[in-house]
Amino acid sequence: MNLFKPSEMFVSATADSDMALEGKRWRKETYDPAAQGITDRKKFVTDTGIAIEPLYTPAHLEQIGFDYLRDLGFPGEYPFARGDRPGMNRTEPFVVSAYSGFGDAEACNRRFRRLVEIGTEQILVALDLPTQCGYDSDHEMATAEVGNVGVAIDTLADIEILFDGIPANSIKRIGTLGNSIGPIVLALWAALGEKQGIDWSRYTVNLQNDPLKEYIARGTQILPPAPAAKLATDAVAWCVEHAPNWSPMTVCVNHINAGGAGSSMGTAIALSNARHYIDLLLAQGYTIDQVAPLLHMFPDERHDFFVSIANLRALRRIWARMMKETYGATRPEAMACRTTVYGHGQEALAEPLNNITRTAYGTLAYVLGGASYIYLAGYDEAVSTPNENSARVQLRTLQILANEHGFTDTIDPLAGSYFVETLTAQVERQILDGMAQIGSIGGALAAISTGFARRVMTEGAVRRQRAIDSGDRPWVTVNMWPQQPNVPNTAFRGDAKAVERQLARLAQVKATRDAARVKEILAEVDRATAENRNVVPCVLDAVRAYATVGEIVDVWRRRFGGFVPSTDF
Amino acid sequence: MSVSASEQPRRRKIRVLIAKIGLDGHDVGARVVARGLLDAGMEVIYTGLRRTNEEVVRAAIEEDVDWVGVSILSGAHRVLLPKLRKLLNDSGASDVRILAGGIIPQEEIPELQAAGVDKIFLSGTPIAEIADYLVKETKHV
Repeated sequence: MNLFKPSEMFVSATADSDMALEGKRWRKETYDPAAQGITDRKKFVTDTGIAIEPLYTPAHLEQIGFDYLRDLGFPGEYPFARGDRPGMNRTEPFVVSAYSGFGDAEACNRRFRRLVEIGTEQILVALDLPTQCGYDSDHEMATAEVGNVGVAIDTLADIEILFDGIPANSIKRIGTLGNSIGPIVLALWAALGEKQGIDWSRYTVNLQNDPLKEYIARGTQILPPAPAAKLATDAVAWCVEHAPNWSPMTVCVNHINAGGAGSSMGTAIALSNARHYIDLLLAQGYTIDQVAPLLHMFPDERHDFFVSIANLRALRRIWARMMKETYGATRPEAMACRTTVYGHGQEALAEPLNNITRTAYGTLAYVLGGASYIYLAGYDEAVSTPNENSARVQLRTLQILANEHGFTDTIDPLAGSYFVETLTAQVERQILDGMAQIGSIGGALAAISTGFARRVMTEGAVRRQRAIDSGDRPWVTVNMWPQQPNVPNTAFRGDAKAVERQLARLAQVKATRDAARVKEILAEVDRATAENRNVVPCVLDAVRAYATVGEIVDVWRRRFGGFVPSTDF
Repeated sequence: MSVSASEQPRRRKIRVLIAKIGLDGHDVGARVVARGLLDAGMEVIYTGLRRTNEEVVRAAIEEDVDWVGVSILSGAHRVLLPKLRKLLNDSGASDVRILAGGIIPQEEIPELQAAGVDKIFLSGTPIAEIADYLVKETKHV
């Protein structure tokens, strides 16, 4: 399998229109003589394998058969290439978002209050690894991990403290990743509203809740893929019935691209995963018009600025056509692809302050590409959970992008660019080819079980490493002006007492809750699971009774068995 | 004709167990290193995600490896790596040496080396540098 074929993606103006002939003449008479004898200073190929030409002209638009009304249309209208919302950033700039969490709920609550004070409009709670993997803080597998890469959440008591003084409706959205524990985190957010006396219709919860990509890239999978996907769709189905204003699933390219797939194949894999979830929901009798508006996509490209813009535009067009033509959607909300992004660049360990510049440029591409919800990586994120100073810089960078420089004054500002339109068509072709390839092997689950996705990832990661080692991919302070990488121990380490407090709180909750009631409800969760019912209603009851995350997950572990880690590389 | 120990051909290829210990699910680096060492002519075994120290020690002994290469990015290295060294020693595998890679602060390296981790490679180290180190450091027997 060779996914990296730059030559095939090379768009050359072979048509013999006047424009194409003029372009060829310029190349031959003016550019080539000037470039003669000069060695290319780098490989002019994108990370996704598209060769970049010295110049783009109207001949390239002829080459791709560019048709404005068919290919772009207008913002907020089919095929949504220019934007999923009518006014985009001009009427309402993207939502300034923060991904944050560490230690225990008490320590983390202080950080959250600070984030809201300085203008954060959405908080996505970073959970620690034991929580994400369905282990309570007192489990052996949680050793040395409690509160490390996120906040520890064992029961509803932790969520109550985490959002103490921050009403669920005081910011635009709250949520978390919870990829392998989707129904549980959904229930925790629903129960928070009940505790705070705020109706579900009056706040918005966003979850990642995309377990399939965990098997491919991120690694917090708990169960075998098929039941994991079913449980994730239960969260979506519950929202269709009870909280249609929430966004309970964000299908991710992010980790798949970062892990090696590249943004085009990563988008193809993510869209195939989305199709799997959608098909499960349609099989339960929901309609595409009910389901699609609740889904978000999480695109990602961190190597090539213009590819990032092209990817967002191509993704919206593919999504719209897929919803309308493949699934027969009729509501515009079902065809408009909402996007969440997380701004990155090629962050380096050496001289980490440079990462502020890198991530700002990476994020600018997302702004120009029209993303709706934007997060930004901290300059120290490669090392640790961002410290408070870094969190402030993240937020201010987003606010600057939203308000200064005129970046957000007009909609889809690069539309019509010979280069950007050509690249958008090329990226779209790569994504559609990837989807066809996955379709031909049997879809999302087969991409995991046959090892297809894993091969794509490893090959891509090896290719990237070689490009860095050889200097083909320039990287300042790494292969240009190289500096010693340094991980300073000023890295944020949180509060040493947090683990003690967490364990004490968990013990206290277990000692004071109605143990018989918990046992009874956990049995009901097991019955609902066995009968293939939607598990969210009884998981919500379990959460209300202060059952722990680990106890609920254990029900599923017993029922489905655990995942078997692959030893392929 | 006698040859000095260092000129003798190696009895066998260098054997490396690449391990993910604990809950950290980021294994791209581990897999890229595994692939690179394989390409460099070594025999490489990968544990897969989310192993306990006990499982890693068992695999290291069963596979008779020269090195265990542990990848940790979650910050749990200060607890997990010294524990791995102790378990290897207690299981009669004190000759198995430990490499670590990932996100490890400079200032914590001496402490880990004192606890019996032979070498730490930070993220971004070229694979060739790791392979060269293993070739140089593996005992010729």
